[in-house]
Amino acid sequence: MTAPQTSPPAACATAPSAVAAEASCRLPVLFFAFSSATWLLFGAVLALLSSIQLYQPTFMEGCPWVTYGRLRPAAVNSLVYGFALQAAFGLALWLIARLGRVELTNPLGLFIAGKFWNLAVTVGVIGILAGDATGFDLLEFPLYAALPLFASYACIGAWALITLKARTERTLYVSLWFVLASLLWFPWILSSAQGLLLGWRVPGVVQAIVAGWFGNNLLQVVLIGMALAVMFYFVPKVVARPLHSQSLAQNGFWLLLLIGGWTGLSQLSAVPAWIPAVSGAANVLLVVPVVVLTYNLYRTADGGIAEAWKRSGVFRFVTVAVVLLLLVTLRNAVFGIGPGARYTQFTYFAGARTDIMVLGVFGLAALGALHYIVPRLTVAQDELPSEGLVDLAFWASVVGVVSVAIGYSFAGLTQAAVGAMADRNFLGEAVTGVAGHLKLVTFGYGAIGIGALAFLVNFALALRRCCAACCGGVR
Amino acid sequence: MNHGPLIAAGAFVSLACSWAALVMAPQVQLGSLAPAPIPNTSDVHPANRPGLAAQGAEVYRSLGCYQCHTRQVRQDALLYGARLVDRGSNASTINLELPGSGRTNLVNFNLLIALAKSRADLGITPVAVPAVLAADTNVAPVLKEFAAELKLLKQFDNKAQIVRSTSKTVNDLAATLPVEVLERTGPDEAERAVKLINDAGGKAELVIYNLGPDIERGWGARRSVARDFVNDSPVLLGSLRAGPDLACLGSRAPEKFAAPWKFASTNLASEMEQRLLIHLYNPRLVAPASTCPSAKYLFATKQPEQRFAGEPLQVPGSDKPVYPRHDARALVAYLLDQRLDVGLPEAPVTKPSVPAKIAAAPAKP
Repeated sequence: MTAPQTSPPAACATAPSAVAAEASCRLPVLFFAFSSATWLLFGAVLALLSSIQLYQPTFMEGCPWVTYGRLRPAAVNSLVYGFALQAAFGLALWLIARLGRVELTNPLGLFIAGKFWNLAVTVGVIGILAGDATGFDLLEFPLYAALPLFASYACIGAWALITLKARTERTLYVSLWFVLASLLWFPWILSSAQGLLLGWRVPGVVQAIVAGWFGNNLLQVVLIGMALAVMFYFVPKVVARPLHSQSLAQNGFWLLLLIGGWTGLSQLSAVPAWIPAVSGAANVLLVVPVVVLTYNLYRTADGGIAEAWKRSGVFRFVTVAVVLLLLVTLRNAVFGIGPGARYTQFTYFAGARTDIMVLGVFGLAALGALHYIVPRLTVAQDELPSEGLVDLAFWASVVGVVSVAIGYSFAGLTQAAVGAMADRNFLGEAVTGVAGHLKLVTFGYGAIGIGALAFLVNFALALRRCCAACCGGVR
Repeated sequence: MNHGPLIAAGAFVSLACSWAALVMAPQVQLGSLAPAPIPNTSDVHPANRPGLAAQGAEVYRSLGCYQCHTRQVRQDALLYGARLVDRGSNASTINLELPGSGRTNLVNFNLLIALAKSRADLGITPVAVPAVLAADTNVAPVLKEFAAELKLLKQFDNKAQIVRSTSKTVNDLAATLPVEVLERTGPDEAERAVKLINDAGGKAELVIYNLGPDIERGWGARRSVARDFVNDSPVLLGSLRAGPDLACLGSRAPEKFAAPWKFASTNLASEMEQRLLIHLYNPRLVAPASTCPSAKYLFATKQPEQRFAGEPLQVPGSDKPVYPRHDARALVAYLLDQRLDVGLPEAPVTKPSVPAKIAAAPAKP
């Protein structure tokens, strides 16, 4: 059986118990969980405010700090670096401790590094609002925030890898492949991109290509990889069945790594034509590993889906994330190559990919996982205190993500239709004409914020119960 | 798959492949790209930005204008054409007017043949030559040659099953200059036509058609290419058009703006600057439907110290002038510096067709 729970107890006499392994995670993982959810709330609010400015230009007008051109990158970078990557670190540490049956190396150090990461993200967001953004998508943090960010990641990543090395369960489960690849992939792309863009400053449009390459790798490999790690952990666990096929997972994993790094550049225009062409082909090829991986998950859960959906909150989150992953990959395959890419180029449709991947695929998977991890680390239960808030967090997040995706996509398709015909009125149809769709986006960000808030409240309730239990014990 | 280092090595190889293809290869291809000289001038494109515009680029980045505006014009097709600009005169050119009449009506017979060869759809009519002239020892061989050429052409047409129009003829085509002999064809056909015409003693030039909705909107004369950005750092291409493309703002015609307008006077540059400043101050004053946020913070309401003041800006609907700060002027200088009207080897343009001049004396068949 390849499901995560397996480990012949006699195999390693020195192996810590699952309880001890989890206890070592408590400080850093809870910290990452809490601060990522807080950044999700903050980022959703910034995104909401900036989306209002798209159709209500006088909203918060007159102050350069909150003009759309600064608010939007601040929101995106809060969501990516504050929420997504931080949640990814927490999940990675927990999965390593849990699946490797090992206590975390230096939890206090991880906590401190996490603090510095948060500090760097805060400084970066303030830097963007102050006008110091670098101008590269998903890499907008100025150098004075980017360097501490990298330094604190170096600590987090190193300790995570040391923990992995020290694991007592030698079998590497599928989730850990993805965790390991993401943990290594991120510093490589980050140092490459920062070095080439902020240090050496490659000339001309190579900058845009490097930035696009970085952003795509961050989404397609690092974050999607972490989302898949979560999916491969929770789906077999909740339905209590072994993974359908180890070799399918292996093929899917390697194909995702091989192809994933090539996608996402089909939206560039003023570059040699081979770049979008190659990237577009990769967008189509990527369907293969994603279908292989999701099919594997489907076969694992087949027959138990309805029952697990009713029973487990985590499973609901993860299932929606899997469906979204499949949909966004197909969307990229159709609108990421040739005429489709050209049609939707420079519209909200193309830009929505970031939102769907960060908030939808990764965001839902991560929120689901946190709904399982946080109660285990606080009150040693499988569910958070308030079931109603779990439902609220789930439905608000799903409705929010779907609204954002649909709103941006339809606004983008309207823009694309206007852009393709020179005799149509650009200002009237493509700019003010999409206000209705953009209002749906605003609503979606609001719902995502409510989802994050519901989780945070539940988190606080669990913490209170945890503290009460501890203090009660002392008394 | 139980060995961590194996997975790490595999991941490294995968990443190295994508890095080599999408980071290193573009750098090798584009890293040494340099501005290209503009033909017949001592200038290059893109030129180094003057100081104020370079500071404006920083304002553009800092305010995040690139979040809503792209600077990349796209085009769907690049087609060619041939334009006849001069009928020329050579041994086969004959004045159809009688000697001593004081008038001239020059006909270049070779040119007519060349035009007929370039345009298979147009007919060609034999030129009526007064009998007096036809007997001239200079004219007779030309006419003989013309007749022979016509015969050859006819034979060729029959062989290739070309049916020429009888109502439209190349004789009419050549009546006004300049004239587009071929429009929107492939490069080979256009070049052949240019060569045929030039060999026939006429003068023709190759016309380039950059086609696509962006170009039809007047957002640029051609597509943006990598070379346009060699002087930029950071390169702010933009990826969303929540507002119009700005790649060619500085050389765009006033009627091609989102809110079209006309120059009130002839002081073009300063008027354009004035208009952009008002747009920055409040976009709704220029285009009522605009969703561009106002940048009022780039303007002072009180008159600054005299030596920093610059020209005050008269805002419509307000009797009090405002004073653009340095950043506002820099941003406008940067925007006015955006141009795509210059041809590059990889993205050529031709001058727009000048309105047809009335030919001195059209060749009447």
